[in-house]
Amino acid sequence: MTHVQTVPAIPTRERDAAPVTRPGGIGESTTRADGVPKVTGEFEYSSDLFMDGMLWGATLRSPHPHANIWSIDTSEAEAMTGVFAVLTHEDVPGRKVYGMEIPDQPVLAWERVRYGGEPVAVVAADHPETARQALEKISVEYEVLDPLVDAERAIKEGAPKLHLSGNVLRHVRIQHGDAAGAAAEADVVVTGEYEVGMQDQAFLGPESGLAVPDGEGGVDLYISTQWLHVDRDQISESLGLPPEMVRLELSGVGGAFGGREDLSMQIHACLLALHTERPVKMVYNREESFYGHVHRHPAKMSYEHGATNSGELVYVKARFVLDGGAYASSSMAVCLNAATFACGPYKVPNAEVESYLTYTNNPPCGAMRGFGAVQACFGYESQMDKLAEALRMGPVELRVKNAIEPGDRFPFGQEVPPPAPVTEILERVKAMPMPEEKESTGRDLRELPGGVSNTTHGEGVRRGVGYAVSFKNIGFSAGFDDYSTARVVLCVEDGEPLVRVHTAAAEVGQGLVTLQAQIASTELGIERVAVLQADTRVGSAGSTSASRQSYVTGGAVKKACEAVRERLFKRVREELGEGYDELSIVNGNVVSGGEVVSPLVEVLNEEIEETVEYRHKPTYPPDENGQGDVHVQFAFAAHRAVVEVDVELGLVRVVELATAQDVGKAMNPQALEGQIEGGVAQGLGLALLEEIQIKDGRIQNASFTDYLLPTTLDMPSVKMDILELADPDAPYGLKGVGEPPTISSTPAIVAALRDATGRELPRVPVKPEQIVGIAKKLPDEPPQPGSAGYAEVGRLDERREQ
Amino acid sequence: MPGYERAEVSAELTVLPSERAEKPPQEQIEAAKTAASETGLAHEAGPETLVVAGGRREVIEAMMEVVEASLDAGASAVEIKVEAQRDAPRFGG
Repeated sequence: MTHVQTVPAIPTRERDAAPVTRPGGIGESTTRADGVPKVTGEFEYSSDLFMDGMLWGATLRSPHPHANIWSIDTSEAEAMTGVFAVLTHEDVPGRKVYGMEIPDQPVLAWERVRYGGEPVAVVAADHPETARQALEKISVEYEVLDPLVDAERAIKEGAPKLHLSGNVLRHVRIQHGDAAGAAAEADVVVTGEYEVGMQDQAFLGPESGLAVPDGEGGVDLYISTQWLHVDRDQISESLGLPPEMVRLELSGVGGAFGGREDLSMQIHACLLALHTERPVKMVYNREESFYGHVHRHPAKMSYEHGATNSGELVYVKARFVLDGGAYASSSMAVCLNAATFACGPYKVPNAEVESYLTYTNNPPCGAMRGFGAVQACFGYESQMDKLAEALRMGPVELRVKNAIEPGDRFPFGQEVPPPAPVTEILERVKAMPMPEEKESTGRDLRELPGGVSNTTHGEGVRRGVGYAVSFKNIGFSAGFDDYSTARVVLCVEDGEPLVRVHTAAAEVGQGLVTLQAQIASTELGIERVAVLQADTRVGSAGSTSASRQSYVTGGAVKKACEAVRERLFKRVREELGEGYDELSIVNGNVVSGGEVVSPLVEVLNEEIEETVEYRHKPTYPPDENGQGDVHVQFAFAAHRAVVEVDVELGLVRVVELATAQDVGKAMNPQALEGQIEGGVAQGLGLALLEEIQIKDGRIQNASFTDYLLPTTLDMPSVKMDILELADPDAPYGLKGVGEPPTISSTPAIVAALRDATGRELPRVPVKPEQIVGIAKKLPDEPPQPGSAGYAEVGRLDERREQ
Repeated sequence: MPGYERAEVSAELTVLPSERAEKPPQEQIEAAKTAASETGLAHEAGPETLVVAGGRREVIEAMMEVVEASLDAGASAVEIKVEAQRDAPRFGG
């Protein structure tokens, strides 16, 4: 279905030379090469890519969350001037489905659509507006079906099957000890039902990329993604090409947070480019972006905790139902994570956990910062607060009493590796000075809930304090062959030694390029480092997710540098004699015993190159009882939130967030602070603001006007206490740092809201109507006259009667 | 994040319906889908294509069920491609 057009020869996009930086060593706060261009607007994001002669791609999406497709007529669109291709599933030459874990998602739908926004056809045209108009000319005949949008209903017997395999994507059961039998030993039992809404990654750069045909049947794709090689493998399968004919290069990524781990427009752009023999650019707009990537799984959780009168946990029972939406994405792993973290970082002698992940006709859900641990943490920390209240204990005291320690076993059977400083981070965060509590009246409005909306002058404002602690796996788990590849070249350029580092690891804004340079500079004792653009010319680095890149790609760069160094020293000994022991590189010189043996430039007549793979120690899938050495590393963080609440209007000001986090080694302290502040902001968003509103399977708020994000006005200052307790198995002892700040900041804020209001608040994000207690129904008695203006004008119901 | 232990074996089955069979082509494909659905291992991978993934023995048994149902319904052929996970050219090359 392609218009035959005469097209110019396609030039390959010119590569910029990798910038040479002087990054400093590990442990230094060093200036990022991409920092200034991002701030000044000069940074080239994937949405900024341009080539002469390129076409614009656009996607026709289903307006229905569940429907049969009876016909697709593209003839009118194809006939439009300026339209070069209109493609449907019939034009997908290879596998018509894709998926990271299960290939269940159609590249373009054929008989059935399973969520609102599912791609049905794609268009390439000479202008984005032409492409958009062409979409309107495609006629699709649908038979609308009832959407299955309730995850609980989806797993019940008799529910309509959305996939041939059924609706249960995965069920994980953890059986540890005898929770049922232990119930009799508990003096105090608390139960709770909790719910987490569908959060969006809300990255600023929409899905975008540029596909360029190579004239020989292959394609180059410039793309913002989290995992180049898995993208390439899925794309090549659907294009029916060998992987080497599909080459990917990372372009500027405007944030990811898990939302770029799945494909969005990658296959579509490549299909269009190969059909038209022209470069094709695709850029989603903000609304389309909400349909174009997966979101955080909404969860419903039931908990039962039993404890002795002195506060020792006796047992935990937990049941999760996570809504995976229409397609699998990484839901299998999320289901396992939620189950393994269900009991928190506590000693739990008996546990029974059931975790279900289901298909529905809601938008697909998958990876997002925290990856199953976020939902679980809100559940178990809410329970710990409820238990502390029942026992009349302090919330920190109860947590410390049950804190897990190295040598204990998690409920999923794995021994807790050192360091596991749960007690220490809780005590440290508690010991941090509290923010000053000013008189609530007479303040600057910006220091009150509601801010300059002028909703209160201090009346009805109450302060609350809450604590939470969390843990999260770092790296891929459950037997996955988790590795990264690094190529390091030591050479002389412009008369000075230079290290070139090449990996396929995606820099998504977290500072990985700078970190790789710092590691190379440290290991090879050389100031000048060039980190090449990530692409598929080098082996896989794995995904930029699971807080893993500093560990795994950092480890690969370190290992490659060590290999280069050994070859250099071997060369020095061959050329200058064997008499040199303990060689090292200092300031561009090879040194032995404090004496310069040779300037590096003199022994680098030939460059030295090494490519290595780095793997962390293996993990294993859980057995049928959910037991096993499932994860490789655990990171721990604790948070304290101080909030002020206008209890009449339900408005909240987060006064301060304090955190203590074990990072193993602060590789780049400034970048670390950025990760913690950003992660905390995302946790605050989930606590108070961020939720994709779904009604009958349709997204109601697909914009940044209606999807509420925290701004600088919502974010308080963040006090940090960074612990550097080395992990003996990790490079430099480091621990992944990206996710922990997000996980326990949410329940800490909600705990503080409960402290201020006395309300149960079992769901996040907490809405004003929950805070004032009218979420489910209006109060029997209307609000009483008070200081909010009723005294002067009278009650609303009374005024209506007049 | 493919942290989940992926299937040991996957099989892609493409049902080629016969125009001359008693049942119309769509019913021949539906018969294959119904049989695949009962195995609990299958996903659709195209208008006439199914993917069955799991352990080696269960995938082979599921394939036989799908093939038998397809042929019983009148399909003229079932094309099958079986990949062992360790040899599958996917993920991480």
